Amino acid sequence: MAPVLQLDNLSTDIQLSRSVVHPVANVSLHIESGETLGLVGESGCGKSMTGLSILGLLPPGGRITDGSVKLDGRDLVGLSEADLRSVRGNEIAMIFQDPLTSLDPTKTIGYQVSEPVRLHRGLSKKEALDRAAEVLGLVGLPRPAERLSDYPHQLSGGLRQRVMIAMALSCEPKVLVADEPTTALDVTIQAQILALLDDLKSRLGMAILLVTHDMGVIAGHTDRVNVMYAGRIVEEATTEQLFAHMHHPYTQALLGSIPRLSQSGTERLANIPGVPPDLSNPPPGCRFAPRCARVTDKCTTDEPPLLSEDVAHSFACWHPVDGPLALAKITDSVPVEAGAGSREHLPSAAAVTVTEPDARDTMEVPGGALLEVRDLVKEFPVTSGMVLQRKVGSVKAVSGVSFTIEAGKTFGLVGESGCGKTTIGKLVVALEKATSGQVLLGGKDLASMHGKALRHHRRNLQLMFQDPYSSLDPRMRVGAIIREPLTAQGIGSHKEQQDRIFELLDEVGLPRNAVERYPHEFSGGQRQRIGLARALTLNPQLIVADEPVSALDVSIQAQVLNLMKRLQTDHGLTYLVISHDLAVVKYMASTIGVMYLGKLVEVGSGDDIYQRAAHPYTAGLINTIPIPDPQAAKARSEVGIQGELPSAINPPSGCRFRTRCPFVQERCVEEEPQLRSFGPGHIAACHFPLQGYEPPGAATATATATATAGTGSAVGDAFAS
Amino acid sequence: MTAYLIRRVITSIVVLIGVSIVIFFLLHTIYPSPAQDVLGAKATNAAVNAWNKANGFDRPWILQYLSYIGNALHGNLGYSYKLNQSVAALFRERWARSFYLSGMSLLLSVLLAIPLGIYQAVRRNSLSDNAMTTVAFILYAMPVFFLALILIQAFALSLHIFSYEASQSTSVWAVMADWHAMTLPIATLTLISVAGYSRYMRSSAMDALAQDYIKAARAKGLPERLVLFRHLVRNACLPMVTLIGLSIPVLLAGNLITEQVFNYQGLGLLFYNSLGNVDYDVLIAYTLIGATLVIVGNLVADIALTVADPRIRLA
Repeated sequence: MAPVLQLDNLSTDIQLSRSVVHPVANVSLHIESGETLGLVGESGCGKSMTGLSILGLLPPGGRITDGSVKLDGRDLVGLSEADLRSVRGNEIAMIFQDPLTSLDPTKTIGYQVSEPVRLHRGLSKKEALDRAAEVLGLVGLPRPAERLSDYPHQLSGGLRQRVMIAMALSCEPKVLVADEPTTALDVTIQAQILALLDDLKSRLGMAILLVTHDMGVIAGHTDRVNVMYAGRIVEEATTEQLFAHMHHPYTQALLGSIPRLSQSGTERLANIPGVPPDLSNPPPGCRFAPRCARVTDKCTTDEPPLLSEDVAHSFACWHPVDGPLALAKITDSVPVEAGAGSREHLPSAAAVTVTEPDARDTMEVPGGALLEVRDLVKEFPVTSGMVLQRKVGSVKAVSGVSFTIEAGKTFGLVGESGCGKTTIGKLVVALEKATSGQVLLGGKDLASMHGKALRHHRRNLQLMFQDPYSSLDPRMRVGAIIREPLTAQGIGSHKEQQDRIFELLDEVGLPRNAVERYPHEFSGGQRQRIGLARALTLNPQLIVADEPVSALDVSIQAQVLNLMKRLQTDHGLTYLVISHDLAVVKYMASTIGVMYLGKLVEVGSGDDIYQRAAHPYTAGLINTIPIPDPQAAKARSEVGIQGELPSAINPPSGCRFRTRCPFVQERCVEEEPQLRSFGPGHIAACHFPLQGYEPPGAATATATATATAGTGSAVGDAFAS
Repeated sequence: MTAYLIRRVITSIVVLIGVSIVIFFLLHTIYPSPAQDVLGAKATNAAVNAWNKANGFDRPWILQYLSYIGNALHGNLGYSYKLNQSVAALFRERWARSFYLSGMSLLLSVLLAIPLGIYQAVRRNSLSDNAMTTVAFILYAMPVFFLALILIQAFALSLHIFSYEASQSTSVWAVMADWHAMTLPIATLTLISVAGYSRYMRSSAMDALAQDYIKAARAKGLPERLVLFRHLVRNACLPMVTLIGLSIPVLLAGNLITEQVFNYQGLGLLFYNSLGNVDYDVLIAYTLIGATLVIVGNLVADIALTVADPRIRLA
């Protein structure tokens, strides 16, 4: 079958004020009807620009310099603007990453969805609105006809993305370019949207170009994949083949840098050293050479062509690998050989010698709890009225959460956005004041501390932020940023502070001359290292890391996670890691707490959560996480969790999860489930759990409960025995 | 909406009372009584005291304030001893002329600034954008009277196209018809405002242009003209609404100087002259009107924004 869309040697330039960037260089790809082609790579590799080039929508200064974009054999490059416009939104449509900004806030959704059909089909306003209602129904917007006059801000993020998809599909395009369509959404909503796209593709017979950085999304939702690096396609294969028998070291490293649910926390993630090259002046030869472990002289001089191994698989590398990377153990002090019998295929990641006392040994030591959180409640008032600000209700962000963290361990908090996990982080570092409950650090209650005592104790608690761009003062030099905590606490002479700064920079792997530089001179991953150095300055007992890597590319993510692990083993740090990404939390944490709408619904070890989840929410959450393994991903039957998070102003009665739970019964509405034990250190709050309930007393005495939780007495009993 | 309006009006009244107390107190401290001016410099202390007693100026200031407000609510804004006329009558005579000058300049400057700003944002960093930016900065930096003098020199004294003096007619309709006399004062105020507004409009249009909904609109296949008209203009104008509301009193201050330079018999010129004469009652009335305009301007801007921006809901 002839491909519906074919790109041949497409190259684009973007003229900047001082330089010319070549974001897309000789890209060839093709998509057939009813097929989803994945385009994957790190940010800045040119994948979005490829998508925009197809529609002729390059940013100002951008132009296609060479090659062709053929839609059903007709070349779109060189078409007049008017002819191109009749293709856009009609034959090729595009959806964007952020549903919060991709809809016009001042126009109704009916207007926006009907706009393309009025334009391309010449329908009347009335007919176009009927069509809009039809398409909105198709994408799963409940009661579409009634919601045509809604404005985008009245809809949740997930529904807005559905509206965006409806807008793109209203003219039944042949090709849909989806640029990171789910990156800004929660995992549960991401799974719903991806399932919708799969369903629409088969029903409408379109071709989808799925642009994403997420190998997990690629594995579950594409038929073929093109891997892009620095403006070039470096590997192309069917999805199964790519994941099982990749040949390009970049593909291998990209996949190896993703923490997986099935992965043990003692395995080091493969990170790709360095950052992608500057595309205004790409390196000669293979563009991946500067970051590749298999690099030879030939790589730096001769550019490898994209050669086909067979019809479906081609790659551009002089020294191909074969298959996925075997992960090095953190405990290994020597580079590990790759898979059995493949001596030629060395692991491509640079080996960092990291020694950690065997995790198992420390597990058995009954260390005292460093942090204990008891019945923590935080409510934010909702007020009404301009003058009197009457309190009309409250957002119940955190409702009675208890857990403990042992010294030197990591506790992971996971949940959808709006579940209260960030609020807990702020309460723990005493940046918010709890409505009730206690936060005990080393037995002292922080919630009751004020003024000087609290300021003094802050040195033991540090925060690592999500956004490496806004968490560092752009007007301060890096040296001053790291010095500030010392000055604030009045520690050391200038000279001693200087030595400490150098020590910290060495520790996080940044050059010493960084002290003289400003944050904007560093990449996202480097900035996150600066943030970590700042958090470490005062030798804190506890670091609260709120989404520490979610703003970073996967390869950089792995660097930061590995660094955090190494610092923990070197300094005995205790972490509270907060993330929406269960895989990251599982990789980092010895104990995981799953939060839903202000409550902990399940606490347990990584294996408890991943293999023996008792709460349907935990199980559903695990099921929504994209797994970077095509076979496992496609074997999944259901979508995971239906619907969206209810309002925390008025949470559901009884079990808060009941509105989305597949096993809901009468009792769930009436009675709130208490946390019960499901094994040593494993507790969950559900009336109808997926695992057998372990009655009080059955818990073995040897078990060190790394987490005790619960508002009810059932748990207390279970652990008292 | 009605409940919101009522609440806003009530808060505005509270603010206004506070402002009026402060203004009254300050002026009273500087200038406790007009007796000396009324009776002449040679008046004896006894005469001054007698006059103060007769006219209530010997009472504590807060009582004077209360009776002033009581009178003001009945339409009596005091008496200008310098002009021998009630303040209310003076204002009645002149407000329409000032309103015409300010309103016309505001309207023209908004109508000019919106397309200019959008044009500059679309063609950013081009030669035309840079040229307009330069002109805007020069105008923005220029004092009102200086611009007025340049315009008078060029268009009135050298080219003889317009008059150097504004219309002296007492009928506001006649003033409106007299473009020969009114063009320069209106142009002065308009140019100064356009300079600021177009800069603001340019940056807000640039913000809007960078949004994904503009990309999405282009991806639908809309022609660029429709992308701008349907999806950019309204979004880019939203921040302007607040700005314009807040700048209404600034326009009033602009009037002060413009009216003086062009000898236009509006409220601004009245205030200017009263400043020199220390015409107590006119000054306080004008200041209170200024304060009212600030509050009303804010209120109007907030209401206009709720109409223009569906995201802002009134509870």
